[in-house]
Amino acid sequence: MTEDSQRNFRSVYYEKVGFRGVEEKKSLEILLKDDRLDIEKLCTFSQRFPLPSMYRALVWKVLLGILPPHHESHAQVMMYRKEQYCDVLHALHVVRFVSDATPQVEVYLRMYQLESGKLPRSPSFPLEPEDEVFLAIAKAVEEMVEDSVDCYWIIRCFVNQLNNKYRESLPQLPKAFEQYLNLEDSRLLSHLKTCSALSRLPYDLWFKRCFAGCLPESSLQRVWDKVVSGSCKILVFVAVEILLTFKIKVMALNNAEKITKFLENIPQDSSDAIVSKAIDLWHKHCGTPVHSA
Amino acid sequence: MAQQANIGELLSMLDSPVLSVRDEVTAVFKENLSSDRGPMLVNTLVDYYLETNSQPVLHILTTLQEPHDKHLLDKMNDCMGRAASRLPALSLLGHVIRLQPPWKHKLSQAPLLPSLLKCLKMDTDVIVLTTGVLVLITMLPMIPQSGKQHLHDFFDIFGRLSSWCLKKPGHVTEIYLVHLHASVYALFHRLYGMYPCNFVSFLRSHYSMKENLDTFEEVVRPMMEHVRIHPELVTGSKDHELDPRRWKRLETHDVVIECAKISLDPAEASYEDGDSVSPQVSARFPHRAADVATSPYVDTQNSCGSATSTPYSSSRLMLLNTPGQPPQTLSPPSTRLLTEPPQATLWSPSMVCGMTTPPTSPGNVPPDLSHPYSKVFGTAGGKGTPLGTPATSPPPAPLCHSDDYVHISLPQATVPAPKKEEKTDSARPCLHRQHHLPNDRGLEELPGLKGSVTLSDLPGFLGDLASDEDSVEKDKEEAAISKELSEITTADTEPLVPRGGFDSPFYRDSLPGCPRKTHSATSGPQGTSVNPEPFNSSLDKRGPDTPKQAFTPIDLPCGGTHESPAGDRERQTSLETNILTPSPCKIPPQRGVGFGSGQPPPYDHLFEVALPKTAHHFVSKKTKELLKKAKGNTEEDYPPSTSPAEVLDRLIQQGADAHSKELSRLSLPSKSVDWTHFGGSPPSDEIRTLRNQLLLLHNQLLYERFKRQQHALRNRRLLRKVIKAAALEEHNAAMKDQLKLQEKDIQIWKVSLQKEQARYSQLQDQRDTMVTQLHSQIRQLQHDREEFYNQSQELQTKLEDCRNMIAELRLELKKANSKVCHTELLLSQVSQKLSNSESVQQQMEFLNRQLLVLGEVNELYLEQLQSKHSDTTKEVEMMKAACRKELEKNRSHVLQQNQRLDTSQKRILELESHLAKKDHLLLEQKKYLEDVKVQARGQLQAAESRYEAQKRITQVFELEILDLYGRLEKDGLLKKLEEEKAEAAEAAEERLACCKDGCSDSVTDHHEEASGHNGETKPPRPGGARGSSGSRGGGGGSSGGSSSELSTPEKPPNQRAGLFSSRWETTVGEPATSIPTTVGSLPSSKSFLGMKARELFRNKSESQCDEDSVTISSLSETLKTELGKDLGVEAKTPPTLDGPHPSPPNPDSVGQLHIMDYNETHHEHSEG
Repeated sequence: MTEDSQRNFRSVYYEKVGFRGVEEKKSLEILLKDDRLDIEKLCTFSQRFPLPSMYRALVWKVLLGILPPHHESHAQVMMYRKEQYCDVLHALHVVRFVSDATPQVEVYLRMYQLESGKLPRSPSFPLEPEDEVFLAIAKAVEEMVEDSVDCYWIIRCFVNQLNNKYRESLPQLPKAFEQYLNLEDSRLLSHLKTCSALSRLPYDLWFKRCFAGCLPESSLQRVWDKVVSGSCKILVFVAVEILLTFKIKVMALNNAEKITKFLENIPQDSSDAIVSKAIDLWHKHCGTPVHSA
Repeated sequence: MAQQANIGELLSMLDSPVLSVRDEVTAVFKENLSSDRGPMLVNTLVDYYLETNSQPVLHILTTLQEPHDKHLLDKMNDCMGRAASRLPALSLLGHVIRLQPPWKHKLSQAPLLPSLLKCLKMDTDVIVLTTGVLVLITMLPMIPQSGKQHLHDFFDIFGRLSSWCLKKPGHVTEIYLVHLHASVYALFHRLYGMYPCNFVSFLRSHYSMKENLDTFEEVVRPMMEHVRIHPELVTGSKDHELDPRRWKRLETHDVVIECAKISLDPAEASYEDGDSVSPQVSARFPHRAADVATSPYVDTQNSCGSATSTPYSSSRLMLLNTPGQPPQTLSPPSTRLLTEPPQATLWSPSMVCGMTTPPTSPGNVPPDLSHPYSKVFGTAGGKGTPLGTPATSPPPAPLCHSDDYVHISLPQATVPAPKKEEKTDSARPCLHRQHHLPNDRGLEELPGLKGSVTLSDLPGFLGDLASDEDSVEKDKEEAAISKELSEITTADTEPLVPRGGFDSPFYRDSLPGCPRKTHSATSGPQGTSVNPEPFNSSLDKRGPDTPKQAFTPIDLPCGGTHESPAGDRERQTSLETNILTPSPCKIPPQRGVGFGSGQPPPYDHLFEVALPKTAHHFVSKKTKELLKKAKGNTEEDYPPSTSPAEVLDRLIQQGADAHSKELSRLSLPSKSVDWTHFGGSPPSDEIRTLRNQLLLLHNQLLYERFKRQQHALRNRRLLRKVIKAAALEEHNAAMKDQLKLQEKDIQIWKVSLQKEQARYSQLQDQRDTMVTQLHSQIRQLQHDREEFYNQSQELQTKLEDCRNMIAELRLELKKANSKVCHTELLLSQVSQKLSNSESVQQQMEFLNRQLLVLGEVNELYLEQLQSKHSDTTKEVEMMKAACRKELEKNRSHVLQQNQRLDTSQKRILELESHLAKKDHLLLEQKKYLEDVKVQARGQLQAAESRYEAQKRITQVFELEILDLYGRLEKDGLLKKLEEEKAEAAEAAEERLACCKDGCSDSVTDHHEEASGHNGETKPPRPGGARGSSGSRGGGGGSSGGSSSELSTPEKPPNQRAGLFSSRWETTVGEPATSIPTTVGSLPSSKSFLGMKARELFRNKSESQCDEDSVTISSLSETLKTELGKDLGVEAKTPPTLDGPHPSPPNPDSVGQLHIMDYNETHHEHSEG
């Protein structure tokens, strides 16, 4: 009751009229005030609304399981996390895998490798493709999060989520992409098919790296909000929206390689719009997630 | 050529006197004509005719059929071109036209018409001109629509010829001019009648010129005096006149009559419509009265005839004639001849009426035929007075018919009216009335009524006429008969008159004319001045003779010379009075008779009446004129209004008079007569002139005949109408009869209806009575029914009562049954009770008995008690007190117990609430616990992850270490190989030094460790450890190896131990063998190490991992050192104590180890 009264009574009308995100911050704060954080509610919230950047790190950490739902244990758990980070870092220093000169991203990679037991025998060993993915994601997260411990943990858990939770669904995304593109613009799809570019689209960049390196971080984090909160389908819509946005250019290109090349290096200026549209499209096709409560 | 010759022959044969031959030849020609379509035959015929003037050829030519008309016209056109043949051609054309061939409409397009017109414009021969004009006049009504093209030609011709009449160009004989004038006069009438507007405008323009003014004054103006204003001048226009549509609905004779209508000339005029001016009638009226007075039959006749002047007068004429008949019959044949024709004419209408055969050709009825009729009428006339019943007597039948005709002319005259008139003998009032009728209506009503009949019913009558063609045929037959007859008569009576070209009917006309001539001759010599005198004497009121004179010329020439224009007038009159007077030309003879016999007054009146309208009109007109000029003018100066025709008439009459006079005197009369009459012409010339004149007259006559035929045609049509009307009348009468019959029927039906109604009312009454009876019955029955109903109701109520009673009884029965059952139950109970009570009684008895026994016993005891009573009371009291006390005690106890119970119950409640609280608390606790668990799990997860990380770290470290070791071993092996020789020599020395170092090191280490165990663990310097190990590395690689083996207690390093032992064996020998046993007990040491490690882990969770490993290594180091010390001790001892006791130190060391293991504290205590 108190929570309700704290909320602006107009919020209901804002939503009805179509102003979204007016009361988001407040409602998120209310959500975060709960002693035992309700993960589901947080998921729904982040799927429905863009997260305020000041709470993004916290919410991500909670959603990714870095922080437990209890506020009490946050400090302690965070301490553990930090120690673990330090230990691993120290170990890497000890085994001379990393040095002070090593770039932070690689440090994160080595740490992850160490923790997952995949540390190669020598740092000079060539990198695996998944390591490249990790590096791309890490680079993106590094831009978003300041604290290195948080950063490492977020990267780690994010990648883990991709590898575990989305292991099954990620390979399905290209198909879904084709389907939604057909619904949105069948001509474009047919064009892609005629150029035989459909199979050669940068699916790795889009779905495995989750657009890391493709979109600027400011837009990317909005996409990842959804990914972190449990929906990897948003990636499909972002991809569709990219194609729709650059439809004219894509239609003008006849070569599959050129298309791929162009899509790998899309201009960054319209990314915000793309993401907004993609989210709208996602809501349109998959429905707006509702509070389960 | 042969054919030509043949034709020539045939032509000549045509004129053969044998009638049969002529007929045959004619037939042959006709056949030829029908088979041959070429123009040759026609041309030959025309040529022949022009040459010979042959009558049969003319007959053939006039009856030419369609395909030859063109040839004929062409041929005539040719002939017209030549001056020589112009006149015969014209006369031929006149003959052809007058017969109105079916192709007459083609004339307007034929080139003949322009050439005729041209001829009329150019020619100077008066005869040709006169003939041509007459032909043109005849032709005009046939082709009225051609006026559009040739109108101005017509007018020009008129203008030219009219001026001719005045100017007399050249040496034209005066006598011709008279003819010409007459024909121009006719043309004037025709043109004025047909195209009034155009004609008047022409006149206006033409005679406005000065040079023509004279002509107008002299010629045209007198003509204009003889015409009325044409209605078309008011209503029509120039264009309308020329409109073909106007002419389309008019037939030739219609046109002729139209023209005649506007004429005021008595000779020309036609008053068919009765639109004659009535003043004349009034003028004539007194004569009528006088006439009526003379004739006794006038009344009946008047009654038979009806109101219009025409039929009235005619019928009266008939009757008037009838009385005149007997004297006439007595008169000599000549006079009789004269008188008879009028009778014939008088009677012919009745005949016509009776037989419904209209007279076709004028004057066809021969005197022989007419005479019997007159006789018949004479008889009829005898019976005439009782004519009141027309149905009975045969003669009135025709009268009735005439009556019918009268009906047409005056429909308002009804049949009953005449009957009444008959009865009233006084004629005057009737006459007056009847005269009044025409007088009053003469102008107004009659035209309208007539018009209504003629115009509206004309088509119908025409249709009838068409259907009654047989009558026409009859006419033709009659005409043929009369023709022959007349021919015969002419042949008999007038061989003198050589008129080859004349038609037969006119021949016959000449027949009456002949005797007439004689009469006229008788009067003729007396001169014109003589004639008036009898008139004067006979007609008191007419007074002046001049009118009569003016009148006579018309009559006389008719009788005398056939060429006289009287024919014209006759025809006109015949048109009018055809029905009544088929041969009006016979009227003049009668006049002649009148003149001759010297009984002019009666006959004059008769003729007046006989020529009903025309004559009457004419006479009245004349009288009027005469009245005007009566006193002042007795001379023969003709009034300026005298028409050219009259002039001609007079001329002819005079000519005829002269001629007849001469005839009677001379064998060659004509010459002398002409000579004497016209003065001074040479005889030859005179003959030519006379011939020409004759020709002209003939032409004129033909023209007049044509007119007459037109009138006849019209008359026939009118007759048809009359017949039709009669038929309608009949029909009306029949209808009336039918109506009457039907009315009678209706009355009969009415009577029967009344009867039926009466019967019906009777039946109604009967029915009513029956109904009332039945009603009463019904009422009674209803009453009965109600009674029965009431009874049944009562019975039903009774029945219900019974039913109720039965139900009650049943209920009672049930109750009784239940009672019985109950009682039975009670009975059984009672019986049971009874048995019980019996047993109780028995018991009671038994008990009574016992009681008795007990009572006895009691008494016995009482006795005993009384005996012992005093002792027991105190005791009893005591016992009672005790009991009381005990009771109180117990009571208080119970109270206590109750209180306790309450308290305990309260306690229970409290505890229960506590329990609930506790449960709640427990739940909360559980929740909390869960929460905590979750929290802990989260923390634990984090810790586990840390642990996992640590594991990974250690693994990495291990790997690293192993790697390093691997490298080291490689290096060590190489060094070994190099230093193996030197090693053997310096082994002992190095070993000692090494042992000393190791001992000191180990002691210090041990101490450090002990202190660390006791208090705070000091982070051992790894460097130191390393250093020691490193320093020892040189000393003894084997020992380092053992220590490393020791440091990994998890893996039971038997091999390494083996290696170690073997090394030891190689180095130490015996002790080396014992060491394996100690090593074999390593599990314990291992467990110790494990514990140590766990302790370390537990204690240094936060410390660096490196330290752990360092401590472990240091531990192993210490162990090594201990071992080494022991060994050193041992080694010291062995050098001292020799080698046989190498085993004891091993157990010691083991024990030490044990002690160290289990009693660490003690050990430390002891050490400390």
